[in-house]
Amino acid sequence: MIPRPFDYERPRSLDEAAALLARSGDAKVLAGGQSLVPMLSLGLARPQLIVDIGALELEGTDVAHGRICVGARTTHRELELGAQARELLPLAAEAARHIGNPRVRNRGTFGGSLAHADPAAELGAVVLVHGGEIVVRGMAGERRIPVEEFFLGYLETAVGEDELVVAVELERLPDGSGIGFEEAAGRADDFATAAAAAALTLAEDGHTCAEARIAVVGVADRPLRIAQAEEAARGETFDQELLRRVQTAVEEAVEPEDEAFVSASFRKRLAGVCARRALEQAWRAAA
Amino acid sequence: MEGGGLKTCQLELLVNGRRLRTSVEPHVTLLRFLRDEAGATDVKYGCGEGVCGACTVLLDGRTVNSCTVLAVQAGGASVETVTALSRNGELHPLQRALVERGAVQCGFCTPGMVLAALEAVRLGLAGNASELRRSLAGNLCRCTGYGKIIDAVEVYRDEEAAA
Amino acid sequence: MTAPIRERTAGIVGSELVRHDAVEKVAGRTRYAADYGLPGMLYAALKRSEYAHARLGRVDASAAQALPGVACVLMAKDVPRNAVWVDVPGQTFQVGALKARANVLAEDVVRYHGEPIALVAAESEDAALAALELIEVEYDEQPAVTDPEAALAPNAPLVHEAGNLLASWQIHEGDVDAAFAAAHTVVEDTYRTPFIDHAYLEPEAGVAWPDADGVITVRAATQVIEHFRDLAKILRLPENRVRVIAPYVGGGFGGKEDMTVEPFLALVVLRTRRPVKMVWSRSESLLARQKRHPMVLRYRTGCDGDGRLLAQDIGIVADGGAYAFLSALVLLYATTCAQGPYRCPNVRVDARVVYTNHTPCSAMRGFGAMQVALAYEGQMDRLAERLGVDPLELRRRNFLEQGDTLAVGQTLDTHVALPELADRVEAGLGSRPEPSRPGRRVGRGVACNLQPYGRCVWLNDWSSAWVGFELDGTLVVRIGVPDIGGGQASSLVQLAGDVLGIDPDRVVIHVGDSALTPLTGTTTATRQLYMSGNAVVQAAGELREQLRPLAAELLEAEADEVEFTGGGVRAGERRAEFSELVAAAARRQVAWHRLSIFRAPGGDAWRSETSWRGRVFPDFTYGCHAVDVEVDPETGQVTVLRCVAAHDVGRAINPQSVEGQIEGGVVMGLGYALAERVVYEDGVNLTGTFAQYLIPTAVEAPQIEPIVVESGEGLGPYGARGIGEPPIGPPAPAVAAALADALGARLTTLPFTPERVAEAAA
Repeated sequence: MIPRPFDYERPRSLDEAAALLARSGDAKVLAGGQSLVPMLSLGLARPQLIVDIGALELEGTDVAHGRICVGARTTHRELELGAQARELLPLAAEAARHIGNPRVRNRGTFGGSLAHADPAAELGAVVLVHGGEIVVRGMAGERRIPVEEFFLGYLETAVGEDELVVAVELERLPDGSGIGFEEAAGRADDFATAAAAAALTLAEDGHTCAEARIAVVGVADRPLRIAQAEEAARGETFDQELLRRVQTAVEEAVEPEDEAFVSASFRKRLAGVCARRALEQAWRAAA
Repeated sequence: MEGGGLKTCQLELLVNGRRLRTSVEPHVTLLRFLRDEAGATDVKYGCGEGVCGACTVLLDGRTVNSCTVLAVQAGGASVETVTALSRNGELHPLQRALVERGAVQCGFCTPGMVLAALEAVRLGLAGNASELRRSLAGNLCRCTGYGKIIDAVEVYRDEEAAA
Repeated sequence: MTAPIRERTAGIVGSELVRHDAVEKVAGRTRYAADYGLPGMLYAALKRSEYAHARLGRVDASAAQALPGVACVLMAKDVPRNAVWVDVPGQTFQVGALKARANVLAEDVVRYHGEPIALVAAESEDAALAALELIEVEYDEQPAVTDPEAALAPNAPLVHEAGNLLASWQIHEGDVDAAFAAAHTVVEDTYRTPFIDHAYLEPEAGVAWPDADGVITVRAATQVIEHFRDLAKILRLPENRVRVIAPYVGGGFGGKEDMTVEPFLALVVLRTRRPVKMVWSRSESLLARQKRHPMVLRYRTGCDGDGRLLAQDIGIVADGGAYAFLSALVLLYATTCAQGPYRCPNVRVDARVVYTNHTPCSAMRGFGAMQVALAYEGQMDRLAERLGVDPLELRRRNFLEQGDTLAVGQTLDTHVALPELADRVEAGLGSRPEPSRPGRRVGRGVACNLQPYGRCVWLNDWSSAWVGFELDGTLVVRIGVPDIGGGQASSLVQLAGDVLGIDPDRVVIHVGDSALTPLTGTTTATRQLYMSGNAVVQAAGELREQLRPLAAELLEAEADEVEFTGGGVRAGERRAEFSELVAAAARRQVAWHRLSIFRAPGGDAWRSETSWRGRVFPDFTYGCHAVDVEVDPETGQVTVLRCVAAHDVGRAINPQSVEGQIEGGVVMGLGYALAERVVYEDGVNLTGTFAQYLIPTAVEAPQIEPIVVESGEGLGPYGARGIGEPPIGPPAPAVAAALADALGARLTTLPFTPERVAEAAA
């Protein structure tokens, strides 16, 4: 099928964009279009107005105020291959490799992925592991939403109707952290059935866990940070036994729904396995 | 563009080096525009979801699934389709390799596959068969089983490296 | 009628010739069905049922008709003849002599999710889609029949008034019960195969227009140009006023064997006298296009102490979906091939295909003979395990041989290469791979199959071809064959070139036009190389003999000294170009073209009796595959490391093409084994996107090593056998065996999804 007709605007400033969104009340923001345009074609979205932010300069990865700032229109391809992005955000770079195929990555954006909030989106796990804030801009100006408060439900975020995501400000991971990412999917490029992002910092003795961070996607209506699993690891000697306990903790913490193609119990199991493997990768990479 | 929501937009872009200036409705995808307005029927509709890669084109030098791009987003851009590779009548070396290796059966996936493979080689993301397969995972083929396609691209890659 | 000419002339056959259509395709110049446009062209679209089973109340199209840009809205009452009747051959004595009916547009009942109800034609695609939304349909939802076995129960809700049993076939050979009683080992299991979609890259599409003399021309992606006759019936037009053209098709696999867009295009042309285009969306195709029959296969197999088969007791229940189409024939293939490529003196097969409110099931590569492979190979593996015998060795003890008779009564006239195929596969495998990392498990499995090629003999198949020179000595072949990507057309170029001694570069072939090219039958049933190939070889050979006396005169030689080679004729030192020969023919009023008909050996019609013995198919192609897999037991992820696939193709006209068919068939078979399925819930098809229907990508596809064996004993030109369908049979059973080897547990329900594999591994 093809998209049904809609009106179109291409604002040249953030203020203009916010005003258009506010005035319409039935608008969608178009960045890379890799989620939105297929939805339009499949008839899953029928907005009255499309606001194309392609003219707004929202790219680039930078360090500011001790945080890593990523412009909302940074593409997955830049995260995956860009030298600066890879150096500053190895976890995002690793996760981005799993997003769709190279065509999708050439266009799809960091801000767009977060704003769309597909529960299986890899970058959702990445931002939760880092912590930080999503910067949005609307009629009332700029606002910062902590990542923990950003995802509200299935395709639902705390971004207001007149707002758009302009940047992502991620906390740096503790020095010496190792990162890991593991995904289970039907095929190489598909939506994740379940995926996990992890970061691990070891204590000075080199084998005790100082801090573990684990986030999973695909098992709820939003990405989840699994505090129970992180608690189970904190202060413990890091070994295979601990990894198994973390896996169990993740499995027990998530309550996915049964679905025609994949059962809830299998998703639970995959979440645990992905979390364990991601954490193990992080362990091997940790200083 | 000031004022209320637009129902048609002016569009100016290059398609295979040819300048086009026209008006287009915003809901028209780049795929549909290329096929119906620009006469580029070498760009194929396979799924409309950005999964199969049959509609792959180069947009300002980068491969995209044209079914996931609105035509209006390509304003001021240069679009190239597989036709651009053999403009003077001669096949591009990659195209020749695909033909010689028996990698073309029904041919429907082929235009998109060619562009995707070229980008993979150009970016150094086709170093070995496994990496190449990963780069081509977004270009589906139902006829060949991919083996001869991979062989042909590897032959082309090695010839390019030696040249 | 001259027999197929077997001696090689110019060495063109068997060489790795570049396919002539490949250059155009790689350059993007080939115009497929949707790549045509005509001035004033309309766009057509279908309003489809949202329910699996419902009585239709009012269908109100008034708002749609009033929409600016809408040229017409058609419903069942607007179709001159809305009922399409299909003969359902076979043992339908329980249902009576059966003609199964399908409607072009639904009348008072819709029987599957997606069944067409109304047809819109408008000035633009946008207008057509907007019109669809304005059509209001009153549905009175009915309970959906979704389980074929339950549908056979006495008080089950009915899909059609005549009852839910669509067709049945039975084989009774020997005394199965006595044989089981005496058997040393008996194994039993139930195997299940899913609904599968063809998932060709080119969705269904076509353009139609009114032409001179009131002819309606339909140019559509189709495997069968003979549908012009069905269209004529639907339109109530004389057959000579309907023309079907098949452009190069972007994949068929049986999905473009029944009509798709053709009736709808023709109806709009009839009504509006304007050109019209219709392209189905991928969602539409996935939702509503015919599927592969799912089957429940109950097998009980007994053997003696040496593992030699004594008895097979087989029950097949296939889900036919809402309308019959080719179900009865698909079931026939399954029934006759159910015993596998193995000797078995006592065989009982009870096969039924049942109506349900699912998408109608019809032809798909393998056509029933491939689904049963999972079962017959699974049984052999079980026996091997119980007896402690190597799986390939057990098969060797049971392979059919030339001269044997299948339980259905068909004698195998040609060489059965299975032992050699098994040897070549074993040699090609090499050492077992090691797991790539701790925790992974590897396994190896083998599977053999047989797949018929050529149509059922009682259909008395035939194929015609025209071959002729131009005055400049170039050659033209005209033949109605639709080319769906398997090199159908280019192999005919090779054959004509070989027989007449002319370089394929100087041969042009015109295909796929029901008005202008001699009819050659469907591109289905792995029959085109056999039928069209023989027809072209025959026509070219007859043309050669027709011109031989003239050539002899021209060269002042004896007729039997003349060779056709190198673009002309030669006798000793003397040569003449074809252009000279044709000039001589013109002077002497000797035709320099030839039309010829190849007739396949026929047979008697299948009789309606309790059991039947007789010949069904012309011949079979045999295969043996092996796969190595690695399993991640925690995630159920299966990586196919490599596959070795051997087939006896009789003679490889174009070896590269043959390899391509094998590799493509293997990957399609692996998708069927591991990931593909169409999922329904209460008859509603949930699989509407390419993101949900998981065909293999380049990553899932393994390195495949095709092994092409040429026994020379096929019925096609130069002793060739068909190779289009056979490679799709062995992969799933080979993977099942490899998984059993890796995990120690046997999976019997396809596809072997990660979830099912993980469960088996636990």
